Amino acid sequence: MDPKFFKLLLLGGAVRFYFCRTPLAAMIGNRVEFATPLNSHKRMQEGIFLLQSGIDPYQGDLVHESPLILSALSGLFKNYPQFLPVFYIILDIFTAALLYTMSRRFVKQKQDQQNVERKEYAKDTEELQFSCLDKLDIPELVIVAYLFNPLTVMSCIGMTSTVISNLFLAFFLYCLVKGLLLPCLLVLAFETVRSFYPIVLIAPLLLVFSRSSIRRGVVISLLFIVSCLIVAAANFFVLNSWNFLDGTLGFIFYFRDLQPNIGLFWYFFTEMFEHFRTMFLITFQLNATVLYLVPLSIKLRKEPLLLATVLVALMAVFRAYPSLGDVGFYLALLPLWKRCWKFMAHGFVVFTFFLVTLSMMGALWHLWIYAGSANANFYFGATLAFSTGQIFLITDLLFAHVKREFCLFNGQKILIDGEEARIVLK
Amino acid sequence: MFPEAFVLLLLVAFNAGSSLGKDNERFHEELVVRPLSGDHVNTYFQFTTRWHYGEKDNLYHTQLTPRVIAELLQQFAVKELHIGLTQGLWRYETWGYPIVEATSGAEMWAWFSGSNLTNGEVDRQWKELANVFSGVLCASLNFVDNTNSIAPRHLIRPQFMPANGQRFVRYSTLPREIVCTENLTPWKKLLPCGSASGFASLLNSGHVHNTKYHSLGLKVRVLCEDHDEENCIVELTQTANLVYDLRLFELSNNDFSLRRLFGMGLNGFCELADSSKIYVQRNEQGERFQLVPAPTQEVRSTRGGHSVVYSVYDMHEQFKDAGERLFNVAWLSPKSEGRRRNLAKPSLPPVTVHRYLLGHGQERGRIVTEVTNSHYDALPIMVQEVVPWYVHAYLHTLSIRRKPQRVNEYGRQRLPFKLLHYTPGKQRELPSHLEIGFMLPGQTSALITIDVDYLLLKWLEYPPDANHGHYIGAAIVSSQLPMGRNYTALPPEGHLFEHSFNATRPSYVLSLHTEALIVSLPTPDFSMPYNVICLACTVVALAFGPIHSVATKMIIVGRQASAPKNFVKKIFNKIFRRGKAGEEAPAEAEGAVLGAAAAAAPLGPSGFGSSRASRTTGGPSGDQPLLEDLDEEEEEQD
Repeated sequence: MDPKFFKLLLLGGAVRFYFCRTPLAAMIGNRVEFATPLNSHKRMQEGIFLLQSGIDPYQGDLVHESPLILSALSGLFKNYPQFLPVFYIILDIFTAALLYTMSRRFVKQKQDQQNVERKEYAKDTEELQFSCLDKLDIPELVIVAYLFNPLTVMSCIGMTSTVISNLFLAFFLYCLVKGLLLPCLLVLAFETVRSFYPIVLIAPLLLVFSRSSIRRGVVISLLFIVSCLIVAAANFFVLNSWNFLDGTLGFIFYFRDLQPNIGLFWYFFTEMFEHFRTMFLITFQLNATVLYLVPLSIKLRKEPLLLATVLVALMAVFRAYPSLGDVGFYLALLPLWKRCWKFMAHGFVVFTFFLVTLSMMGALWHLWIYAGSANANFYFGATLAFSTGQIFLITDLLFAHVKREFCLFNGQKILIDGEEARIVLK
Repeated sequence: MFPEAFVLLLLVAFNAGSSLGKDNERFHEELVVRPLSGDHVNTYFQFTTRWHYGEKDNLYHTQLTPRVIAELLQQFAVKELHIGLTQGLWRYETWGYPIVEATSGAEMWAWFSGSNLTNGEVDRQWKELANVFSGVLCASLNFVDNTNSIAPRHLIRPQFMPANGQRFVRYSTLPREIVCTENLTPWKKLLPCGSASGFASLLNSGHVHNTKYHSLGLKVRVLCEDHDEENCIVELTQTANLVYDLRLFELSNNDFSLRRLFGMGLNGFCELADSSKIYVQRNEQGERFQLVPAPTQEVRSTRGGHSVVYSVYDMHEQFKDAGERLFNVAWLSPKSEGRRRNLAKPSLPPVTVHRYLLGHGQERGRIVTEVTNSHYDALPIMVQEVVPWYVHAYLHTLSIRRKPQRVNEYGRQRLPFKLLHYTPGKQRELPSHLEIGFMLPGQTSALITIDVDYLLLKWLEYPPDANHGHYIGAAIVSSQLPMGRNYTALPPEGHLFEHSFNATRPSYVLSLHTEALIVSLPTPDFSMPYNVICLACTVVALAFGPIHSVATKMIIVGRQASAPKNFVKKIFNKIFRRGKAGEEAPAEAEGAVLGAAAAAAPLGPSGFGSSRASRTTGGPSGDQPLLEDLDEEEEEQD
């Protein structure tokens, strides 16, 4: 832990603290790109208010936060509402710190692995290998990417509960890299019961902890199911009712609220023909969960953390209620794959996509909702392009990883008949 | 001998029964005319049928009571039913309180009572009841269902005598409903005389629907003596409340007459009616008018310290002498008044309400209900809000701010709730239902605000004119007045208008309706569902394709295509290559194949006939990427 790390944390906290005192904070808390029905601060307040008034919050369909979180935060919300921004900032700083330690450890593991495999590498591949400097650089890049990414900063000052999700995810990744099975399982079970999609992260978990034996894998899966049940039961005892299951998981699965967000679901299901709705609902949910899970876990079985990164990223694109806070989180994981960057071809395209679509979203939203001079298609177009940009980024990362693996062992310059060859997938 | 005696006995019994039936079923018609301020005239028709039917079996023999009402009591456990069909807005500030309250659009509420009733059963009966009256009144009451009905907890009090058993109440409004001729005609058909004679003959749709405000009402209640199901009265009250704007008659003065208002004079009374009377208010705004013909009778009613004078025309007396003629009453204003507007300010009623929306855009807003107490003393106020499911209300944003009546702006002063009942809404299932109670100090206004979000709906859930907006029904504000100023409603135990005369009580239950609101929800583009589905699926495919190929395909080292620099040549090259793609494919794809680390079977690279590895690195075995010769690969596949 070097002093620079603490300086960065402090600076990140200061940036957030500065912005949460500006009018921007209230505006961000109301933006659909950041605050979705699942994570908005207003709904959390409503849930806690209903809980305190003795009304079952899940009776209506405004509240989709898990009962444990509601009851855990209810004291804070009621007694110290003025400290809430600080609370969220602390959580976010904690996330950043976890990501930092996680990435330090990850780089170290990579370097160890490299030392073992070094003699098998091709000659001219030094720039593809993790260098000594990476041990400092990569964690620093990760923490900078998390702390100073406008998306995470805004997500934090908007007090969306994505901050809490990110903390749990960061903790999960930390435990994953550190090899702590039980906390890993518990945190994953908690997130799964809370927002459903993290269930896919069981794959990297299994890859890390049951590399050798299938029996161990089965035991871990059973343990996961048991811990999910335990978490659900704990949630049950908050209100003594199972209503919350429909209010959280059911709400996510059935996609009941069509409020616009940056994802693909909202306009698709607004315009959906009613008799196809169920089919497409299942298709889209499969797409967000198991569709890429199996092939990617097989392909990336030696890189569980990359698998986790890609799954988190795909989750952020394809989940029912994505927010920009989710996007900010997986963007912060990209520096871990700094050594793949050389092969990422679409960097500029993706950056432009992000920049243009994100700035367009605000404008088009205003034109649609307030000015009345545009319609929903405009905003839909922007979110569609944004998703496309993210997908380019993810596939680019995957391709880059595959190419790096190839080049690492075969050298960067491959010649066919004396000509330089290119690497393609066939 | 015996059979004859039996028949005789039966006959006697039958006669007795029928005479009893005649005696126990009474019909009254009343018309109240009240000049209001601002050149408005309120005419209120009330037709009351009261039938002491005794036990339930007698309901099969209806005389004056419409059959549908009798059947209603047989089929449903309904004990009290109110239906209002209204067009226009009652202006409390200038017109005072109406005799019968109603909200714009259709409004319906009913009390159910009976043994073994469950909530589910009541919901079912409620829906059926609404469907029945949808047919009877030709209104869209069939749209009443669980998505817009609530079970009020505090605000709506029963007016029937509860027999034993649980009580359930359901309430619903359809603010979008448009009331017109097709509702008036079936409504008149429920009357014993129909529209042929009596006061109902005045209700011609051409004139009724030209009014500023018209409201048709129907109220059924069952009164059972001593909780006894065998000794009951059914009371059907049909009301028509109209407000005319005299300026629309384009007269040179403010005179008006029954003929002017309804297009014709009165042709008599309904022969089946026990009483048939016209009440004309003579004090307040009615003071300046001179009546022709001069009334024979005058009634002074003092209620809660407030006196009202009515002139009474009894139709039975007016039409005592036989002969064809029409009866007409004219209101003549003093000649000096002339064309001048009546600018006399009416006394402000003690409680007035308003409601409006704050905020702009189709994203979120704030519903504001403003209650003003101009009485000098504090009044208990209860407010019932039904927020439809397509609007999300945030209870934690609910607040009541107060200000003295004279001050223009609301400060930070808050009023505490005395009572709060809230049922959160659920999309496409339940409306949010909010009831709050508080004490409003005298000469004070209260501002009740709640934040709402507007939802985006599925494209087929929008009504035909989607940009017209969606309605939020009126809130009901209820209070208990200590005095009877402006208060004209019937006492709950009375059933005729004349029962409100001198009906002084310790307090008067007042219930007011606010304006209904219209919110414009965000709308999708209705024209392009196919495009949206295609585009969204394309983006999904954009992810699926590459990820699938990364996961399943092998890495191949291919020859760098020597692309020409020139753009035109590039295109030529493209076309040329496409044309010869079939032949060239083998040559192009030569190179080394990497046995992809994927366990999935590599997609068959076909036609690698002449390929050869230009460079074979000493690939590590096992899990490491393996560089193989393509020929071998192909052999394996073969």
